[in-house]
This record gives sequence, C-alpha cells and structure tokens, in this order.
Amino acid sequence: MISGADRAMEPLLTVESLVKRYTPRGFGGGRGGVTALDGVSFSIAEGSTLAIAGASGSGKSTLALCLACLERPASGQIRLAGRELTTLTETQLRAVRPQMQLVFQDPSSSLNPRLTAFEIVTEPFAAQSRFSASERAARARALFERAGLSFQSATRTAAEFSGGQRQRLAIARALALEPRVLILDEALSGLDASVQAQVANLLLDLQEASRLTFVFITHDLAMASRMADRIAVLDRGRIAETGPMDEVLRQPAHASTRALIAATPQWKAELRQQADT
Amino acid sequence: MKLRANLRAWVLVLAVMHAVVACAGFFAPYDPGEQDREHPYAPPSAIHFRDGYGSLHIRPFVYPLQPVAGFSDRYREERAAPAPIRFFVTGQGYRLLGLLPCRLHLFAADGARVALLGTDGYGRDQFSRLLWGGQISLFAGLMATALALTFGLFVGATAGYWGGWTDEILMRIAELFLALPWLYLLFAIRAFLPLTVSPLGAFFLVTGVIGLVGWARPARLVRGVVLSARERDYVRAARGFGASHAYILRRHILPQTASVLLTQAAILAPQYVLAEVILSFLGLGVPEPAPSWGNLLATIQQYNVLTSYWWMMLPVLVLTPFFLGYLGLASALQGWADPSKMEAVGPGSRW
Amino acid sequence: MTRYLVRRTLHAVLLLAGVSLLTFLFTALVPGNYFDEMKMNPQISPETVAALRAKYGVDQPLAFRYVHWVGGLLHGDLGFSFAYNTPVGPLLRVRAANTLLLTSVAMLLAWGVALPLGIWSAGRENGWPDHLITLATGALLIVPDLVLALGLLLVAVRSGWLPAGGMAAVGAEPTTWAALGRDYALHLLLPVTALVLSCAPMLVRHVRAAMLDVLDSSFLRAARGHGIPPRRLLYGYALRAAANPLLALFGFSIGTLLSGSLIIEVVMSWPGLGPFLLEAILGRDLYVVIGGVLLSTAFLVAGNLVADVLLYWADPRIRAERGNG
Repeated sequence: MISGADRAMEPLLTVESLVKRYTPRGFGGGRGGVTALDGVSFSIAEGSTLAIAGASGSGKSTLALCLACLERPASGQIRLAGRELTTLTETQLRAVRPQMQLVFQDPSSSLNPRLTAFEIVTEPFAAQSRFSASERAARARALFERAGLSFQSATRTAAEFSGGQRQRLAIARALALEPRVLILDEALSGLDASVQAQVANLLLDLQEASRLTFVFITHDLAMASRMADRIAVLDRGRIAETGPMDEVLRQPAHASTRALIAATPQWKAELRQQADT
Repeated sequence: MKLRANLRAWVLVLAVMHAVVACAGFFAPYDPGEQDREHPYAPPSAIHFRDGYGSLHIRPFVYPLQPVAGFSDRYREERAAPAPIRFFVTGQGYRLLGLLPCRLHLFAADGARVALLGTDGYGRDQFSRLLWGGQISLFAGLMATALALTFGLFVGATAGYWGGWTDEILMRIAELFLALPWLYLLFAIRAFLPLTVSPLGAFFLVTGVIGLVGWARPARLVRGVVLSARERDYVRAARGFGASHAYILRRHILPQTASVLLTQAAILAPQYVLAEVILSFLGLGVPEPAPSWGNLLATIQQYNVLTSYWWMMLPVLVLTPFFLGYLGLASALQGWADPSKMEAVGPGSRW
Repeated sequence: MTRYLVRRTLHAVLLLAGVSLLTFLFTALVPGNYFDEMKMNPQISPETVAALRAKYGVDQPLAFRYVHWVGGLLHGDLGFSFAYNTPVGPLLRVRAANTLLLTSVAMLLAWGVALPLGIWSAGRENGWPDHLITLATGALLIVPDLVLALGLLLVAVRSGWLPAGGMAAVGAEPTTWAALGRDYALHLLLPVTALVLSCAPMLVRHVRAAMLDVLDSSFLRAARGHGIPPRRLLYGYALRAAANPLLALFGFSIGTLLSGSLIIEVVMSWPGLGPFLLEAILGRDLYVVIGGVLLSTAFLVAGNLVADVLLYWADPRIRAERGNG
C-alpha cells in the first residue's frame, strides 16, 4: 500500500458536506423520508485507499451510488481531480464517468446472467462507443489477464462462473475504461473466506501496478485494515471519525467505531485479552 | 426438459393448423366465391365406399345431387352416376400464400360437387369458405395481437423505465381502458367508425380497433418487468459506464420482456380471433362476399336457416381446436417461464 | 373501515369520470358526420335534427360539450335515442333489468355449482373426482361462449323441447302467476345454461386453487392432527381461510353482471342490454351506445369496489396494515 502521507499534492477525490435524502413518491407522500447522508466529507490522495466503514443502515451504499454519480445528492460537492461533479449534466458526466467506476457487492446481480463474459467485459466499450471490434477483443484479453481469468472462458455466460470468478469479472469490467478511482461497495463481503483473500490480493496488485485509488466501503474492519491505510467511520449518515487506520483502531474515539471493532470476530478475543490485563 | 417438449408439441400443432389455413387454396376444392345457384343449402355430401350394387370401392365417391321437384332445398342422390373423388387434382387457379399461382387441389369429385360441410344459400361450398375465411379471421386476430402487444410494449416500457409522472399518467389511462368491458368498448369504437366499408378496409378497421382496445393489460405486465429490471445492479453498472438510455433498454431491459410478451401473445391471439368472429357475425366486421368465420355463421341468425339447415352451424366448431392449441401453448409458455405457475390458462378475462 | 371505503369510492368515481371522458372523446371523433347522416334519415324531421344540434351544442368547442353532457348526466339525462324517439334512460333501464334477471340467475347457479365442485375437487386432490372435474372444466374452458350458445340453440331447435329465443311467449298471454313463472323459466333455461357453462369452469378452477392453497398450509395440518373430521375441516376451516380470494372473485362476478352476457343474449334473442346496444350501433343511435357502455362500465367498477370492500372487511391483515383506516 502506498502511504497516503503525500499531502503536498491536492487529493484526487474530495467529498464535501454530501447530503442525500430519500422521500417516498406519489400522492399522500411527503411524510416520512430518510436522510441517508447528512453532511459527509472526506478526501483521498491518489494511489491510496480510504476505507469507509459502517454498520448496515449507516448510508454506505448510498454513498457509493453518489460517488459513482448514479444518484444526485441534495447538496454537497464531489471533486475529482479538481473538477466538480454534482453539477454536471448527464452528457458532461458521460465523459467523466470512465474515471470513476463502481464494483458492486453481489456479482450475481451486477452481471447480466444472460451475457457472455466477453460481452460483459467489453460492455463499457459498447456503452461509450469506443474502439473497433478487434481492438475491443485485444483489450478484453488484456483485462481478463489482469483479473486472473482465463480468456478461454470468455464465451461462457456469467451464470456459469463461480462467485469469486464473477467478482473478478466485475473487476475486469470496471477496469475496462481505465479508471483512476475504484469504488468497492462491499466488493469482498459476498465471497467465501478463501476467495476473499485471493481477490483482495488481486486488488492490491492492481492498485500497485496502475496507481489506482480505492474507496473501500465495508462493515468488516479486519478486511478494511488489510486493504486501506486510512479509515473513515460512517454512522447514520455522518462521518464519526477519520484518520490513519492503526491510530483509529487502537484508540477509537466514537462509540460506533468501538461497536464495529467489537463486531469483528478475530479481534474480539484480542479485546477480551486487553480488558483482562 | 419435459416443458420444452410440451412447448414444441403445441407449437407444432398450431403450426400445422395454421399451415392448412394458409394453404387454403390447396385444401379447398372450390373458390370461396364460386356459386352454384342450382344447389342452394345442400347438406354435407355423403361419402360412399359401397355402391348401389353392394360392392366395396377403395376410392370414395359421391353422388351428384338432384333437386327434388317442388322444393328449393331438398335433394336426392342420383345413384346412376357416381363421381369418384380424386386426389391431387388440377382445378381452378389460385394464389398459394397469396403469391404463387397454382392449380393443384388436394381433392375434388369428378362429375359432382363434393361439399364436405354443405352449401349455403348461394350454393357456395362451406368447406372452402371455411378454409379461406380462416385466413382472414386468423390473420386479423394475429395482426391485432401484434398491434396490441407493440403498443403495450411501448407504453409499458416508457412507464416502467421513466417512472415518475409519466408512469402515473400512463398507468391511470391503462386503468381506464381496463375498467371498460372489453367487448362493449370494442362495439362502441366500431360504432363510431363508418359502417359500410370494403372488405379490405373492414379488415384493417377490425384489426385496428381490436388492437386499440387491448393494449392495457400487456402494458401493465411489461411495466412490471421493466420496473424490476431497471433496479438491477447491472443496469446501474451500465449507467456507470455512461451508457445511454437507448443502449440500456436495448441490451438489458427489453430482452427480459420477451417471455411475458410471448405468453400474452398466446393468450390474446385466440381472444382476438374470437373478437373478429363476433364482430363479423354481427355484421360489424368483414362483410360479404369476403369470407370470414364470423360472417360464415351470420346466416344462422335467421330462424329458418337455424331450424332447417343445421350444417350451417358447423363452421363454429373450427374455433375449438384453435383455442385448444393457443391455450395449450400459453400454458406451456407460462410453465416454461415460471415453473411454479403451471395453472391452466383460460379465457376467463374475456370481458 | 369508513376511510377505506371513502377512498375506494372516490377512486371508483374518478375512474368513471375518466371513462366518461374517454367515451365522449370517441364520440367526438365523428361529430359533424353523425348529424349529417341523421339529416339524410327520412324518419327524423329536420326540426328535430336542428333542435338536437342546438341541444347538444354540436358546433360548440369540445370541452363545452363534454361539460354540458356531464351536467346532463348528473341529472340522470343520458341523452336521446334517435331510433325510439325517447330519452335513453328508461330504455336502458328496461333492457338492463332483463339482462340482470338473466345474469343474476346464472351467477347464483354458477356459484352454487362451482363452490361445492371446487371444494370437493380440492378435498380429493388427485383422486378420480378431481381428475374428472379438471378434465371437464378444461374442455369447457376451451369452448368459446359463442360456440356454446350456438350449440345449445341447435339442440333446442332440433329437439323442440325449449323455446329457441326471446324472453316470454309471444302471442298467448299467460294468465296465472304460475304460468307466467313457468313461461319465464322455460325461456330462461337455455341462456342460463349457456352462461353457467361458460362461467362455471373458471370459477371451479379458482375455488379449487384457493382451497388447495389453504389445505397446504400449516395451520390446517395442525387442525387435522387434532383429529377434526375431514368434512368439518374442509367446510369450516379451510373454506373460511380461502374466503379472501373467493370474495374478490365474487365481487368481480357482480361486476360482469351487465357485460358478460352480450353474445349469449344476441344468439338467444334475449331482450337484454346486449342486443339493444347492437341494434343501436347498427342504427347509429349514438347516445344509446354511450349510455350502454357507461352503464356496464359503472357496473364493472362497482363490482370491483364491492370486491375491494369485501376483501378489506374479511381480511383483518389488510386492516391492520392500513392502521385501522
């Protein structure tokens, strides 16, 4: 992991006071409504990883969607390489989208089961109408390789892959347009433990090779500590605390952070030990 | 896999039935407009294998009919001149499938008229009219189905994909159409259009009206599919690549509507064929002299025809195998798409 | 409960308003043409045409005509029949009553037959009664009601047992109530049979399906474990639990009372709403057609409303969900 201490440069991604509300639609609506994000702010330097940890319901998925510009926030700013994103029109966004890609939690729903692996990985090219057929094939081959998949399996439909392979496919697809930022929304959480480690290593290798910036959203602190050097804890739509990973974990300032730590099975034992001494 | 075999069986059955109707010229011995004023209301020809001397023939034959003196609609067989039925004969020209000029007929009688279902008031062979009429009735029903489904697809996809006010308004309108009793609406719309039109005009009119009335239910179903498809992560991912709406609809969403559209097609087609038959039966559809299953039955409404010439009602039986075929297909399609729903489909939602 | 009722009624009223607009728009498709056709009709005097044109404001903008027409509607004025030279309302009333006579008898019979058959069939699932009933209903479902009606008519005509049409004997006036009733009954027999044969199979299937759903549930298996006799199980417990979808179905049946029998009425010459509407269409009697369509739609919408309310009343879960509205 590249240390995020290089603060001399402007951070690649900056989020300021992001607010997102959901209100029920239709006649007789207006009562109720949920504020999913209530003024979220953070920044990430290029090439580093920020883990955003929170329990379910804390607003993680909403944050992921807002960052990927798939939902429009009610207010706040998202700046990528200095460019403000929330006020862009859809056409303008189209040019920017390749720079920031989202990898979803469940590859069975993030990949269309009827399409072949080749079609899935080259879909970004089709969507942006880029490259000729032969160029797409060449790039697809390269992407398969980077993701650790055999190109022979390119003609199989997504349904025929295992969970771990599907997630690799999703990652390969996300890399197709050569993004600078990958938003990983619980991307490892749906995988078996053994596969998790493999895919985690894949991600780290990719980051090092291409100087990728990761936003690693998760509820699992153990995973977060492996992947990221900085952490922001999300609690009910607000950032409870931010800081370097080991500092925050060693001395959690907020109750929700402590709750997350307590919920991590392998650390429970450590905590009990600490409490006993 | 049993479902697949089931599906294929029904498709085959339907294909055969439609092929027979499509090649009406071949299977029908006579032209549907061919009149025989000497033999109005002749009963169905009796096919004989045993002649007057008691000997058995391999080749079936009929006797020509001689009108009984003093009656306009009574006949007796002229035993003296048996007319053998020959197969694959050359007869009157027609256009196979409307394109190829052809003269081959499946069967004809040599020296007499063989009317398998009897003749009508003008002496026209009901069997031939049944086959040719099927072309009109079936085609009208199928085209109306295509129309209703296309329109329903368009509206449903628009409502489901764009949501919001578009969805609300479109679905409210659909609800209006669904609230009206279907047959009454059909009649009402038909009423406000010119009553006397040429057969071709009537054909398009009937097709258009039936299609216009029936778009609402497919639209609702398509909307449901599109709504759930829209929420999928892979659609979100595609948006994340900057895919246009058109691309997403074409690639991800519309293919999913295929199964519901197919099932609806199988359910609606027989209903729409029936609608054409009813309209023509009541004089609101395809007019004479063009034959249609409906106007073939129309004369039944006259009391004397009903009481004296029972064979005029036989054409109505042709509806049953077609209904059976389509409903079987619909059932198989539903079972194929959603194995938990193996319930039989019926024309219950007629109104 | 009342709040729900009010909300649903409002919805029904809005629906009817929308339908009236839709129907009116259809008529507006052929404005001038219609009255021109009327002018050519020798039966209608030019003064009548002019008066009607003025009354219906044919030369006025569309919105005005609609408002004017709805205003008349609210006063019970359904328009004027050109063929009969009288207001539409009373005409429709008589014909609708005839239809209702036919369809209510048929509906009661159909339900009376379908309920026990469906329950029996479900109770002996996969036994020979069940298979027989499934086969029979399947066969009947495939036959469109046009075929049924014509077939029955043919039987009546050939056998001469039953009158082949009409509602009452023409000519000889029956004197006693008994004779009158018998006359009506004879005339009703054929169309009612046709209607029952066309509706009952679907009902049987629905009843059977609803019962099977319930019979499969755990609470019923528990009851069986308690040793409750099968007949009581079936009728007492299962039926009550299965009542919900059946009540909704009953509501829909009510809704189709006016519109479901059109073909049968026409074929059997039953003087109901159907043949009247047809006659109006062929005779271009505009307001009769609109009135007929509106009336039958109103029934359909009302039937749906009844179904909704019955469902709401019967199913405490829905009430709880809505917070005792």
